[in-house]
Amino acid sequence: MKCLIVFGLIVAFVGAFIGFGYLKFTELTRPLPKPQLDANRYWGPGDGKNYVPDKKIYDFNLQVPQAEIDDLRQQLNRTLRLTAPLDGVNFEYGFNSHALEQFVEYWRDNYLTKWSTREAYFNSLRQYTTEIQGLRIHFIHERASEEAAATKKVYPVLLLHGWPGSVREFYEFIPILTMKSNITDYAFEVVAPSLVGYGWSDAATRTGFNAAEMATVMRNLMLRLGHKEFLVQGGDWGSIIGSNIATLYPENVLGYHSNMCLLNSPLAILKGIYANYFPEKYLPSRFFIEHHFPIWEKYMYLLQESGYFHLQATKPDTIGAALNSNPVALAAYILEKFQTSTGPGLNKDFGAIITVYTLEAVLDNLMVYYLTNSATTAGRFYAENVAKPYRDLQLDRVQTPVPMGCARFRNDLPSVTDWQLRDKFPNLKHSRYFQQGGHFAALEMPPMLFNDFIEFVENIGLDKL
Amino acid sequence: MGTFVRILVAGLAIALAVAFKNYRDLSAPAPLPNLDNNAYWGPGEPKDYKANDAVVPYDIGVAPELIADLHAQLSRPLRLQEPLEGVGFEYGFNSKELRKVINYWRDSYLPKWSEREQYLKKFPHFQTTIQGLKIHFLHVKPQKVEGKKVLPLLLMHGWPGSVREFYELIPLLTTPSASSEYVFEVIAPSLPGYGWSQGSSKTGLGVAQVAVIMRNLMLRLHFDKFVIQGGDWGALIGSNVASLFPENVLAYHSNMCTNNSPVSNIKLILSSLFPGFFIDSQHAVFYKGIGSIFVHILEEFGYAHIQATKPDTIGSALAHNPVGLAAYILEKFSTWTNAEYKHLEDGGLSKRFTYDALLDNIMIYYVTNSITTSVRLYSESMNKAQLALNLDSVKVQAPTGCAHFLHELAHTPDSLLKDKFVNLIHTTHYTEGGHFPAFEIPEKLYTDFRNFVNKLEN
Repeated sequence: MKCLIVFGLIVAFVGAFIGFGYLKFTELTRPLPKPQLDANRYWGPGDGKNYVPDKKIYDFNLQVPQAEIDDLRQQLNRTLRLTAPLDGVNFEYGFNSHALEQFVEYWRDNYLTKWSTREAYFNSLRQYTTEIQGLRIHFIHERASEEAAATKKVYPVLLLHGWPGSVREFYEFIPILTMKSNITDYAFEVVAPSLVGYGWSDAATRTGFNAAEMATVMRNLMLRLGHKEFLVQGGDWGSIIGSNIATLYPENVLGYHSNMCLLNSPLAILKGIYANYFPEKYLPSRFFIEHHFPIWEKYMYLLQESGYFHLQATKPDTIGAALNSNPVALAAYILEKFQTSTGPGLNKDFGAIITVYTLEAVLDNLMVYYLTNSATTAGRFYAENVAKPYRDLQLDRVQTPVPMGCARFRNDLPSVTDWQLRDKFPNLKHSRYFQQGGHFAALEMPPMLFNDFIEFVENIGLDKL
Repeated sequence: MGTFVRILVAGLAIALAVAFKNYRDLSAPAPLPNLDNNAYWGPGEPKDYKANDAVVPYDIGVAPELIADLHAQLSRPLRLQEPLEGVGFEYGFNSKELRKVINYWRDSYLPKWSEREQYLKKFPHFQTTIQGLKIHFLHVKPQKVEGKKVLPLLLMHGWPGSVREFYELIPLLTTPSASSEYVFEVIAPSLPGYGWSQGSSKTGLGVAQVAVIMRNLMLRLHFDKFVIQGGDWGALIGSNVASLFPENVLAYHSNMCTNNSPVSNIKLILSSLFPGFFIDSQHAVFYKGIGSIFVHILEEFGYAHIQATKPDTIGSALAHNPVGLAAYILEKFSTWTNAEYKHLEDGGLSKRFTYDALLDNIMIYYVTNSITTSVRLYSESMNKAQLALNLDSVKVQAPTGCAHFLHELAHTPDSLLKDKFVNLIHTTHYTEGGHFPAFEIPEKLYTDFRNFVNKLEN
């Protein structure tokens, strides 16, 4: 009799434990409903009580006064007091100061001398500004070429950059999207904005402007331009913002393509750890295991590379002051990310950035940050996205029916598997692994990104919608 | 915070379970690591190095061109962003306050630089070459001894500090007092890579290796036995000297006593769950529990994260960037003095310090161009090789005194400190003061230190 009681108690206890565990597990991992955001929230200066939206679209033309270029050259001409790297060290301790000297020299003596051609290149894509929710938004707007418009199915696409990028990342990508191509029936009308707080877009003057607010502004931008339905493509923050648009405004998004497929819901994290031990079960091929696993190595890699993230997420105004005050500071900090993005093989190499990108492209991008003095406001985005109001939205747990496409480039930050992605994107239509390429795919290999993007678009079957 | 703590507790529970299993291995007294007391850190090949024992006076005078260039830099229009509405220092250094600091630096401080330089020169400065590096130090002997016993004291600063932190403390240490039979002969070095001390050219100069250099410095000055006082890195280096060279250390006092051994960290978790077993209830306010500590560290350690992984990047960014350097360093003097100052528009800087004193310290980093080498201490100390030395688990036999100042970043309970500092004879809790007590409240730190030394049995 006693045995039965003891046995019964044990069963009851274990059952309760399992039940409790299951309840907690489902609580942590079940999908959540879509949160409601105020799609008209005012983000301009002041309280917006008397805010009358200016819906006009203004031409934008970059014209930097020569005095500013001369002043920059003067700043770059100060005697550098950089510390030599430790013996035998390349880029393991951060951006190599000898390499930095070479970049500064080129920037000053070569790049700035031909600044007018760089400025003309900036202006080679049509750009505009318009006011959304109190913020002036700068954007490139290139329609499909005449040829393409005549013969192809044209769809609008919103291209979103990240940090430390800018619209410059898309300058070689956009012409491919808008031209008449032999390999696809599609062509695109491209809208590529500077994110709020980046480039020539205004920054928020109040706290709380996070990736959900950014998604709302960018979606409203597309509506302003007359596009009620559009595609979205992005990497880095652009990928996260794109995911948010697809989640918060699924009725507006025809398809969402990402080249940095992250998901940080509790379920995704648990699945990642689990799949680490059975990788072949969850990947299309053994060739792609190294994109995701061993997961502990990936975490260590992220820890190694995320000092900037930690700093910007907690003290953006401190590091922003340093970066805004000195172009050499900006160069070291931003170039480090381009160096790392060249991949583990190349990134010991002084010439890695030149091998993968061009000096002009990378310096163009640096100039965007320098000319707009946006290092502080760009960094603040990190703080807003780790703050409680954004975390509480738990957007990674909200499903969206929007078709999704994922391109994984080998040298980018580690992404999640399709098995994980489907929990948020049940309509995952396209997934490809690239065994080369890094974080700035649009800049590094625009035709490859284009090929992947159109394969995704063709998969959606847009004209049948 | 709820989510973080939940995840943290889950992870820690698993860690606890694993650790319990390995408790015996973890808690066994660790052997002393085998360090090369003559490792060469200078440039070039060790075989070409000709050691030089000379101790020479050092002139810290700054070339006028450097001051003029600094003035010109500070005169440029500031390219700062307005802070977000209603924000003090929650997003880092408030640009309104930064503007004030820069204006003061340029218009009030630099014009009287020769005065400040004279102030910095008020103690004798020296340099000597240890293991290939020129090490700078202050050497201050008591003017009068008056029958007191003179104890040599190795006084060590941390980051982002310098010997300047000790300028109001040193006169107290070197002046005989009725309250003690001891007076101190102070050796206050600039850590290698800081101030006027040369930085290493070789990788590997972490906190353990710095301890070797500091002990060799004391031996060079013919001090076989000495007392140690330190905070921040100075505390860790000091505790390492005491662990590695017990024969040289008479006593160890710190305003940031820590025990980073695996067992101690487990106990720290337990002390959050069951404080009664680990913490004296009258000091409960000092011990905030692991959840709160974790969140605080997460919020304050972005700088450590980047310095531990990309020191040369952040170093190059700050190298000749006086505005950036001021923001980056002074932010710590605000938040680490009192975390509540984060909510003030001026960061509370002038509540506990003068701009002159704060700028003296910044000037040391700026004129010596040492920011890069200073932050490399983080990457050299926070890596597998350093952890493998397991110095955290080596006990300190020397009599130890720990002063807890309430607004320090975090406090380790005395019961945990005793596991490492087996001869913990003195521990105090002060409800004022933060991370830089020598700078902020030198009299209190002096009094505590003196009270500790008085307890020593010689």
